[in-house]
Amino acid sequence: MGPKKKVIETKKISRVFNTGDIEVRALTDIDIVIEEGEFVVIMGSSGSGKSTLLHILGCLDKPSSGEYYLDGVYVNSLNKNQLADIRNQKIGFIFQSYNLLSRTTALENVELPLVYDRSGRFSNSSELAKKALEQVGLGNRIHHKTNELSGGQQQRVAIARALVNNPALILSDEATGNLDSKSSIDIADLFVRLNNEGKTILMITHEPEIAQFAKRMIYLRDGRVLTDELIENRSTKESALKDLEQTT
Amino acid sequence: MKVMKQLLKTFKVAFRSIYRNKTRSLLTALGIIIGVAAVIMTISAGQGATQEVQSQISGLGTNLLMISTKTEHRGGIDVRMGRPIDEKDLLMLQKNSVWMPKLSPMIANGVRAIGPQGNKSTTIYGVSSDYFDILNREIVSGDAFTVEDVKTARKVCVIGETIKKELFSSADPVGRQIRIDKVPFTIVGILEEEGKGTMGQDQDDMLIAPYTTIQNRLYGRRGGYNMIMASALSEDHIQDAEIEATELLRETHRILEGEEDDFEIMTQVELQEITGNVTGILTLILGAIASISLIVGGIGIMNIMLVSVTERTREIGTRLAIGARESDILTQFLIEAIALSLAGGVLGIVLGVLGNQIIYKTTNFYIPTAMDSILIGFGFSVLVGIVFGYFPARKAARLNPIDALRYE
Repeated sequence: MGPKKKVIETKKISRVFNTGDIEVRALTDIDIVIEEGEFVVIMGSSGSGKSTLLHILGCLDKPSSGEYYLDGVYVNSLNKNQLADIRNQKIGFIFQSYNLLSRTTALENVELPLVYDRSGRFSNSSELAKKALEQVGLGNRIHHKTNELSGGQQQRVAIARALVNNPALILSDEATGNLDSKSSIDIADLFVRLNNEGKTILMITHEPEIAQFAKRMIYLRDGRVLTDELIENRSTKESALKDLEQTT
Repeated sequence: MKVMKQLLKTFKVAFRSIYRNKTRSLLTALGIIIGVAAVIMTISAGQGATQEVQSQISGLGTNLLMISTKTEHRGGIDVRMGRPIDEKDLLMLQKNSVWMPKLSPMIANGVRAIGPQGNKSTTIYGVSSDYFDILNREIVSGDAFTVEDVKTARKVCVIGETIKKELFSSADPVGRQIRIDKVPFTIVGILEEEGKGTMGQDQDDMLIAPYTTIQNRLYGRRGGYNMIMASALSEDHIQDAEIEATELLRETHRILEGEEDDFEIMTQVELQEITGNVTGILTLILGAIASISLIVGGIGIMNIMLVSVTERTREIGTRLAIGARESDILTQFLIEAIALSLAGGVLGIVLGVLGNQIIYKTTNFYIPTAMDSILIGFGFSVLVGIVFGYFPARKAARLNPIDALRYE
């Protein structure tokens, strides 16, 4: 086995916001490499720059300086349409509030990224969407409207939507933020399973018990990487549920 | 191929969302519905009226020329500008004209006619026996009066259907007497029924008698005529007839070169053109007024689309995040606006056609729904969708995905 493919590589990324006269440094000299098959959690207090970093890594924003390579593509040089296309092809987003189309079936929601696919990689989008829903354990809910599903189920639909285009990277922004503890553990466990199947996952959370499911933790403070280390004693669904019982 | 499929799907989604919000969509599209219906109805009515007038004018006989004294519009009334057209002109034309084989003066007078069933105020037209040929008026019972009747100023007349009905009931009045302003006339013929005119006037409410009789026996007046009617030898010779009449009349009226005519000659073609212009302008004005409501309807659509963009900011952010380009968002919202106004347009067309039917049923004024008005209505509603949908759609497409995702 040769060296693993780098899904994310940043070189001295900084992001500066100019709001009137005040210059706000949100990120300073971020160097991160994430390889294929990793499961990384980014933590940090609010204002530490984790959202800004996520936006840049998700190709929704560009760094003020530094270089960013996503799956070998030099993102800095891309224009708006190319950014849209690379988001479509290489990234699966998961949001805190699911961001599903309401009054639309789970299947149609999951198909949505394929609607915008311009590469022509996918021939049967509804078949792929169905498979993705089965992957997240919603094979029996494909024709349900999203507003008929529970929060945990809705987030699973969103995860299926993030999987359907077979992205190089799954980006999760506080995916468990709106869920109860039990559902949160289920979602975290789902991430672990997907990671075991080979998916590269990067998630942001401020819940330590959820972060503990990941393999590696990057801790941000004031826009800089404070620590970047492997997680020992990773949580499993069983251990997390046990902890949950003890605390209540 | 993929793009087409994509567009079709977007249309489907848009129509589904319209159907889902039935009440809101209906209220939004109401302006378009009313606008399109109004455009269809006004254009149809205008074209219907034009056709009606044109066919009536053609019914007058395509070779018709009307010679009258020049009038000018002054302070709201027509003022005669030249010397009246009179018997001297008629005799001169009868003697000299090559291109106008049939000539008839016309004197119109309001009279009171009395028959066995009652009395009625109506109009009597004094004409020559050529009149019936010039205007293509058929006699259904009896006969027209003759040249001899005119020469000797006999008290004979031809009556219209309305006079017959009101003054003689069902019996055939040919050969019977009718008193016109107290003078007894013998009825020699009944005119074929013409029906209502364009402006709703009754074209069968008339008496026709020799002009000589009217001048000598009824009023003793030897003044001018309302006009002289003539028919040209054939349709191809209308121009010749007009030129000839102009030259002859200028000579008898002693009009010097460079001076203006003191008479007017109107041909059937010109009459058609003038009325065509009038009804055309009328249609245009009405259509323009109707299309204002289309613009108002468009503003309604723009308003709702702007609301919709704000409401769905997060959806737009999500779509952008998962790979929609700006142009995808623009297309989506544009198509939603077009779908909305298109649906309104189709309903408006249905309403317009129905409206025409209702008018026909209630007033008997037949309005053929103009095919081009349907196309205009349809095209306008799409155009309104594009024009008024573009601004909200552009607003949606230009949203910053990060801000849109955060929008609460």
